[in-house]
Amino acid sequence: MKAKGERRKTAGGMRKGSRRSAVGGQRKAVSSERSAPRILTRAEFDRLIDELVAKCAVYAPVAVEETGKLEFRRIGSSSEVKLEGLADVGVVGQLGLRPKELLFPQCEVLFHFSPSEPGRMVEPEPPQEQVLFGVRPCDGAAVAFLDRFFSGRSDSSAPSDIYYRARRERTTLVGLACNRPADTCFCRAVGGSPSGTTGLDLLLTDLSDGFLAEPVTEKGAALVADMPVASQADMEKKQRLAENAGQAITTTIDTASLKRRLDRTLVSEGSGPADAVWQALSLPCVNCGVCTFLCPTCRCFDVTDEEFRGRGRRMRVWDSCQFTLYSRHASGHNPRATPHSRFRNRVMDKFSYTVAMVGELSCVGCGRCISACPNGIDIRETVETLLKMLPE
Amino acid sequence: MPNDVTAVIQRRARELLSSGQVVMLLGYRPGRSSAQPAFITRPEDASLLVFDQSCGPNLAAFLPKVKHLGRIGVVAKGCDSRSIVLLLQEHQLRREDVFILGVGCNGVLQDSRLSDSCQTCQFPNPVIYDELIGEPAAASGQLKAAGGQQSADSGQRWQWFKNEVSRCIRCYACRQVCPSCYCPICFVDTTMPSWVGRTTRLSDNMLFHIIRALHMAGRCVECGACSRACPMAIDLMSLNRKVSQIVKERFGHIAGLRAEEKPPLTVFDPDDRQEFII
Repeated sequence: MKAKGERRKTAGGMRKGSRRSAVGGQRKAVSSERSAPRILTRAEFDRLIDELVAKCAVYAPVAVEETGKLEFRRIGSSSEVKLEGLADVGVVGQLGLRPKELLFPQCEVLFHFSPSEPGRMVEPEPPQEQVLFGVRPCDGAAVAFLDRFFSGRSDSSAPSDIYYRARRERTTLVGLACNRPADTCFCRAVGGSPSGTTGLDLLLTDLSDGFLAEPVTEKGAALVADMPVASQADMEKKQRLAENAGQAITTTIDTASLKRRLDRTLVSEGSGPADAVWQALSLPCVNCGVCTFLCPTCRCFDVTDEEFRGRGRRMRVWDSCQFTLYSRHASGHNPRATPHSRFRNRVMDKFSYTVAMVGELSCVGCGRCISACPNGIDIRETVETLLKMLPE
Repeated sequence: MPNDVTAVIQRRARELLSSGQVVMLLGYRPGRSSAQPAFITRPEDASLLVFDQSCGPNLAAFLPKVKHLGRIGVVAKGCDSRSIVLLLQEHQLRREDVFILGVGCNGVLQDSRLSDSCQTCQFPNPVIYDELIGEPAAASGQLKAAGGQQSADSGQRWQWFKNEVSRCIRCYACRQVCPSCYCPICFVDTTMPSWVGRTTRLSDNMLFHIIRALHMAGRCVECGACSRACPMAIDLMSLNRKVSQIVKERFGHIAGLRAEEKPPLTVFDPDDRQEFII
């Protein structure tokens, strides 16, 4: 049996301080002497990508032909990466299932077993070192949430879910600030910002004649350590872009008041006037899993065993609170049997449960659930109605 | 200013609700991005209703869920009305459960383009209704081949199918928005036995989609709701069209046209072709 905790040999052994040591390095907040923003020209950017491609998995948003949408795909060379235009969220749309799926895959083999050899388990190879380019600030915030959630304790940032941790420790997130948010974006209403750095290692801003690169962690700083330091003019340009982007997001949500109102319905689940509100709100919902699967913070999974011709494996697979099977007991009893109780659970999770569990909302305002809902349900409208209809 | 059809729908909804002829009017209201199903119960809310090319969702899917409330008024495009016929054929609905406000449809938009299913629509007008609102629409003259799997080469068809379903994330949006998918417990949701694995590996995805397509045989009205709902842009309609075409060739049946007919795969006929039985 292979030890799960075994550290994979990564790009370690490189010169300290060079960009190479970033890969596999620690996610420590950047020290003040290395925090200076840098400037990356397209040529430098390409060189950085090609160096990284040579030694680890590099992912970047790529237009997928079949779906016409942008998805993080593994890239083989800098020529495949087009970060230009990506900061215009309104035009290019949201970024599919990833990055969540690169840290918390939809199907993950936990171990292999053989019924003829009881007690013997073989764990898969540890995950590969990976660098993600073009991560949106909302998705960075979502990863920060997942870090806290999978750490199991609200007072620790060290993830304790070993499968999540194994991937997270080998991941570098290079963000790209959103210069023009989409009309479905509402990160500012839930504590984020189109130029936020939470969860990221490095934040790029597209200045149109190059990228401003702001290190957030030592890992991020090492990637751009040998790039020229940005000028005052560059910083001012970035500031203007960030302010304009921020102003474009006008949705506000009184999340504290919302939580108080939601919490009052905890004891009355399934009955009373609040239940009627949930019923009315959930009518257009068909309880598919689109919103939860695309949500960058939804993290529920089921564990399933598979056996075929004497070889078996235990896997964890994404699950959704919108499915009847999710909460059905072995006895057949289902405490969340009605469609509206499942609709309610998603909203409660985002704006109440995780605040109680890990001290954070689990909505980052990315807008994926809004644009992908087959029946046009808009979480902003849902929340607006709840604030109006539920007593504080 | 509301268009004519919207104005008539609003007026009739108000009248039907006020007079107590229906307890709920199932129609569309504008959403922030596209139209949303609307469940109107008070006459004064009828002014929320709209009808335009953003009204994609097949409202028949909601009828089995709200019919217990009483008689439901429903806005039905051509395809929605065929779904209602299918629900009548399969005893999921009684004719007196619904008051159908039929509307001729010029096709619905997806990402500002005419939805794939609407480009080949042969039944844009309601096939069953209590009232017809507005002018009848013209059927599409275009007959579309059934996508990549139309190729003569079975290897290519198989490759097309694998390529499409490999993207599936098993969110079941296709199933949930489909009026023909009303089973209380779907075969993928049984655990004892577990007919289909829960992973998104190709074999599990293929099994789900093959069974889904077969369950649609002779029952799919080609409204395209599944294709529009799919977040991974899987070309489900091509698969559905292929199955519909086979049913039409073998049984001369088109789904959801006459309430007194039965979908051919739900009945036995001794005269059915049986050449595949040795």
